[in-house]
Amino acid sequence: MSVRDRARRALERLIAASAAERVAISLASLVLSLVIGTLIILAGGRMTTCEEAAFVLTHPQPFGVPQLFRMGFCYDPVNVFDRLFLGALGDPLKDGWGPLSPFSGGPLNPFREGYDPLNRQMSDTLRETTILVFTGLSVALAFRAGIFNIGSQGQMIVGGLATAMAVLWASSLFSGLVGTLVLIPLGLFVGAVFGGLYGAVPGALKAYADANEVITTIMLNFVATGVILYLVRDVFKDPDSLSNQTEPLPDFATFPSFLFPDYYGFSFVALAFAALCILALYYVLTRTAFGYDLRTSGIQPEAAEYGGVDAKRTIVASMSLSGALAGVGGAVYVLMVLGNYQTGVPAYGFDGITVAILAGNNPLGVGFAAFLFGVLKSGTTVVQFSTNVPPQLVGVLRGLIILFVAMPEFFRMAGRRVLPADERPGEPVAATDGGHTHGDSGVSENGVESDAPTHGDGVESDDARTHGDSVASDDAHESADSTGGERR
Amino acid sequence: MSVRSKLPSGGDLRGIKLGRRASIAVATVGTLCAIGLLGTLLPGSIFGTLLEVIFAKGTVGSALRRSTPIVLAALGGIFAEKSGVINIGLEGLLIVAAFAAVYAMELSNNLWIAFLVAVLVSTVFAGLFAVVCIEFRADQIIAGLAVWLIALGLAPFASQVVYGAPNTDSVRSPPGMNEVLTGLPVVGTVVSVGGGAVGDVLTAVADLPVVGGLFHASVVVVVGALVEADVAIYLMFLMVGASWYLLYRTRFGRWVRASGENPKALDTAGVNVSRVRYASVLLSGVFCGMGGAALSLGLGQFTGNGQTMVNGKGFIAIVAYLFGNYNPVGAFFATLLFGGLDAIQTGLQNVDIGVPSPLVRIIPFVVVIIVLALAGRTRVPSAGGEHYESGEE
Repeated sequence: MSVRDRARRALERLIAASAAERVAISLASLVLSLVIGTLIILAGGRMTTCEEAAFVLTHPQPFGVPQLFRMGFCYDPVNVFDRLFLGALGDPLKDGWGPLSPFSGGPLNPFREGYDPLNRQMSDTLRETTILVFTGLSVALAFRAGIFNIGSQGQMIVGGLATAMAVLWASSLFSGLVGTLVLIPLGLFVGAVFGGLYGAVPGALKAYADANEVITTIMLNFVATGVILYLVRDVFKDPDSLSNQTEPLPDFATFPSFLFPDYYGFSFVALAFAALCILALYYVLTRTAFGYDLRTSGIQPEAAEYGGVDAKRTIVASMSLSGALAGVGGAVYVLMVLGNYQTGVPAYGFDGITVAILAGNNPLGVGFAAFLFGVLKSGTTVVQFSTNVPPQLVGVLRGLIILFVAMPEFFRMAGRRVLPADERPGEPVAATDGGHTHGDSGVSENGVESDAPTHGDGVESDDARTHGDSVASDDAHESADSTGGERR
Repeated sequence: MSVRSKLPSGGDLRGIKLGRRASIAVATVGTLCAIGLLGTLLPGSIFGTLLEVIFAKGTVGSALRRSTPIVLAALGGIFAEKSGVINIGLEGLLIVAAFAAVYAMELSNNLWIAFLVAVLVSTVFAGLFAVVCIEFRADQIIAGLAVWLIALGLAPFASQVVYGAPNTDSVRSPPGMNEVLTGLPVVGTVVSVGGGAVGDVLTAVADLPVVGGLFHASVVVVVGALVEADVAIYLMFLMVGASWYLLYRTRFGRWVRASGENPKALDTAGVNVSRVRYASVLLSGVFCGMGGAALSLGLGQFTGNGQTMVNGKGFIAIVAYLFGNYNPVGAFFATLLFGGLDAIQTGLQNVDIGVPSPLVRIIPFVVVIIVLALAGRTRVPSAGGEHYESGEE
């Protein structure tokens, strides 16, 4: 056991060493996405027509220099991002961004008078955050096992509908506080089971039929949407309603709301539960044998199998757990936001991919990334109200962030260009990179990067040691090299 | 870690399971024959309805029309993946191309320009993807997903900006082949006279009692569908042939295949692997541009709600070329299976067969999953999904 602990500690050191780089890359990606987003807003502002330009780009005209260049745009990017980020928090700052500017010279308290942190917009932000924690954890967990779960959306809606129906059925048996205490855990459990089963399908298809999980999960999203539309439209439909929704759940069967009014659709209880799930998943991944097997399968499947991990079972288990988390997300969405099941659930599953990737697939990071995305999603409605910029902008940002986080090499190259001391002319690039590689094992840890051999070695030999096989180490190295393919 | 291990084919290089493929093909033909037989014998039953729907002239035409964007995207996917870059962003390329085509069509009112703009936009996107994957060594799967998600946001965004709604206004659709032919000066007269005569003969034969039914089902419907089909379908046939030739009969094709199978050998032979890969990924952009333009111009509109009008076609294309074993002709037939199913399900939505339409609509997706599960163990190019770095830079 002590050998295993040592191996684990070595692995953790590697993650810790790379954590700073991960955070830096995520932040840089975020900034870069916002920059590109600005350009897209400006371009969009040129493509559309408006009475009066919202934003004018021109040069300063000191000493009566004639104006040579002037360009008007229909959208004002500064205003858009102001609304997106500050609007989502209910405008906490004095005079907009004033206090943050170096010239404001104002008092240290940046909050405007009468700012109520429990405002409607903040409630929306936290509501989105809560749901995104679950889909983010769902995607992150699968990633850690080396599986791309694009099907969180489908697993979420399957879990959500199952929850709504189960709680509706059981709600006649209980009432009052007892009802709340029984029905909410029941709803979450049912959501987890159904989401998990729906996640197990692509897992089994991958494990036993070698079917690419990216494709199967995306196809299963379509299937889930179709089947659920049928069920909600034709079978479970609320006869009193014109839209496709199930009968409403009784109030005691939904998450109790503290501090915020009931109709805001947000509950701190659910947020606390989400936080608990983050910690639980962190514990499972880092402190349990299952988590260890799962991560090793993600980093080096061959090595994990050599070390006695049943790869097929791990795939199915991680996909089930991933689906269960998405299913719980659906359950929370039904029990906290909707109060019944309605078709047309927003794309939390896709946002979950961004949340997970931005968080480096670390459960603790998912909390922060989910809040950031909660801000983006809730800010979108503010943007829609106060500007005429299309709300699809956030969808674009979502993709851009994924793209940039996926190319850490871009930032490393940029970094090397800024700090040329690092680069010794004449030396092969591969060697330079090799020097860096142990630092970025976090990236590979998540299965995000494909330059395996270097990390592979580290983890692999750990694994070999774990199982106390003296010959293994050499074999393992060979297998690492062969999987590493062409990279030298 | 190699991305390959996360792909359907796993890391192992298993042999080509032609047996599975053949059995699926046989099963498809068998099912069609069974439906035909049962439908002819029991015209009132569900099989009769199915037979009517399958062999309606509209269904064959619509199967071809629906296959066009998928086949073109699959051709693009073949080149990218054969060269060692797995392009999972085909869906995204189709989306941007579909929007660009409609927007360009509205501005220029010229089909050629609309097509070219769509190809250009899609190729630029593919180029960005190539830079990200080849130059910055991003994980190809994640970068591909990013391309999809960016397009999924960007096209409706642009549509909202320009048209004030996620759906664009309607534009003119490409003409059918019959319109093109009759529009030509001399050929037009010949076609309309000859076509009329041939049509009379065909109708006469089709009117014969038993033989007529089968004849009608096979020849008249297919020929009729082809004649009425819009020009994009002919472009698709042309491209299937051209890409087969390019991939298997030219030096460039050899380089593409080598770059995916054994980049080191290609490098040793003095060919720049990165350049071959760039060319292949750009080519996938060109094909997706054609596919997206064919899709949106064929319907005369871009719809950007939900999953947009592309609605998973890019992913179906990936399955199609995996099923077609990376062969352009194979991919075409595989797509015809999906396109046919899609056409049949649309036909069935208009006929009441007792199954609700949302369930009928998922048939193609379910079939994709089944096919992938049966034929998933394809032989992926051995360096597929991996970054290649030549020692000298």
